[in-house]
Amino acid sequence: MAETNQYDEQRAANAKKEMDALVYESLKTHEVKPNAIFAKLSEITKAMPIANKMVNWSRVNSLWPMQFGLACCAIELMDFGSARIDSERKGYLFFRATPRQCDVMIVAGWVTKSMVPEIKRLYEQMSKPRYIVAFGECATCGGPWWESYNIVKGIDQVLPVDVFVAGCPPKPENLFAALMKLQAKVGGNIEG
Amino acid sequence: MTITRINIGPVHPSTHGVLRLVVDIEGDTIVKVEPHIGYLHRGVEKLAETRMYMQIPPYTEKLDYVAPMSYDDAYVAAVEAALGVDVKERAQYVRVILLELQRIASHLFGIGAMCNDMGQMFTVFMWGFKDRDIVLKLLEDATGSRMFYVNMRLGGLVRDLPPGFEDEALEKLDYIDRRIKEYESYLEKNSIFMERTKGIGVLDTEAAINLGITGPPLRASGVDYDVRKNNPYYVYEKLHFSPMVLYSSDNFARYKIKIMEIKESIRLVREAFRLMPEGDALGMPVKLRSPDTKNRIVRVSRELPRGECVMYMVGDQQKPYRLSIRSPNFINLAALDEMSRGGRIADLFATMGSLDLVMGCVDR
Repeated sequence: MAETNQYDEQRAANAKKEMDALVYESLKTHEVKPNAIFAKLSEITKAMPIANKMVNWSRVNSLWPMQFGLACCAIELMDFGSARIDSERKGYLFFRATPRQCDVMIVAGWVTKSMVPEIKRLYEQMSKPRYIVAFGECATCGGPWWESYNIVKGIDQVLPVDVFVAGCPPKPENLFAALMKLQAKVGGNIEG
Repeated sequence: MTITRINIGPVHPSTHGVLRLVVDIEGDTIVKVEPHIGYLHRGVEKLAETRMYMQIPPYTEKLDYVAPMSYDDAYVAAVEAALGVDVKERAQYVRVILLELQRIASHLFGIGAMCNDMGQMFTVFMWGFKDRDIVLKLLEDATGSRMFYVNMRLGGLVRDLPPGFEDEALEKLDYIDRRIKEYESYLEKNSIFMERTKGIGVLDTEAAINLGITGPPLRASGVDYDVRKNNPYYVYEKLHFSPMVLYSSDNFARYKIKIMEIKESIRLVREAFRLMPEGDALGMPVKLRSPDTKNRIVRVSRELPRGECVMYMVGDQQKPYRLSIRSPNFINLAALDEMSRGGRIADLFATMGSLDLVMGCVDR
């Protein structure tokens, strides 16, 4: 779910005052606190409309997916990252192996009951804002395993999903289209 | 020295899906590897009991999603044996061609994924996927789907090969033949690759036989066993090929076997195209009322890209009463402990990559 950073003059002015105070204090005591100063700086940029647009623009064009595959669709996910599709040209840089560096989690494959706690844990480890793409029939609704005793009927029963991709498995091109849709959603161009 | 127990997975960039390993290490040396499986279990065998015969191939295909055609064929062959249906001669040739193309695609994937596992040798991963896509395009032309084909019908196929397929396939296979030589020259001169494969993960012949592993890992351990040769089906008897056997039984042998099998498969496809007769290759329609197969027990064995698959089926009216699948990956996974014991923890993933596991097949 996209965080909305609305323009707030008061908030920006407050943050600027606090940052100035921090800078003066560090000049007096010769003791710099860079983390606190940067936190204030980021609050100022969040509250300013033009900077907000900048943040959104950079966020849209650098969505990092997580290297996380479950089943068949993971093979197409690997194909998506390889030479033919070349996902890097739209900003899906590398597949990162750790959830802490990722923005997008692509749930590719069927979700079993024993896998649910692991997926939840991975999702909680991701930094905000975070997005989920349900890739394929199984992650969307259970797919052919609807009647199986060990399958969760769609990842949306467990976690909030932003984009669903239909197909068994969807082609890598299809995933590309879905992620471009996600970009439009993150950039605020479509409601969702 | 004290023994430390560490957990790897189930979500790990190098475990080929969702395999969880609990590893006991003494310093840097592996004492014991314990695979914990079941994260992809969905009960295919139980689901098959509530489906009609020709509704099941989409389920069995998803067992081994890197080589779905082979499982499709193995299941349909079991049904054919239960119903007593003969496969048309042209259909046999077409099946051999499609199966061998699938084997090429699967081994290309295996080599790429193995190189990805051992320290991000990403070039070969990219190459493997690029060349695999070319083979998948051929299969897509022949069957209409990119990954899950459901192309086998009783006694034949859904559709014959399209016109012009032979020329295109031969052209693409020539290209892959050239590429395979590039792979070899690239990898076997790469000191990182050689140091991580030569003499690592040794599984001697006796242990390989005792563990019951099949497929490329068994042949890399010096056992001349290939279902296509020992228990031939379709037209493999008429085609000239020999099972590839290597004796060094390490990671390198398991990689080299895949390269050699790709070359052999290319030769097989070329020969099958040459010998293929004209005629009809279409199978029976899906909604066919079959004869009663109650209490008819069949056991069909097929050589998949990853090992021997056995389909054991007890028939009922119009549907299987019980379907039991011997999945090659499940049994090959048991060899991981034997292979990596005494080695370094860093080599565990190279060894696992050389086994070429597909977790969907392990968990069923």
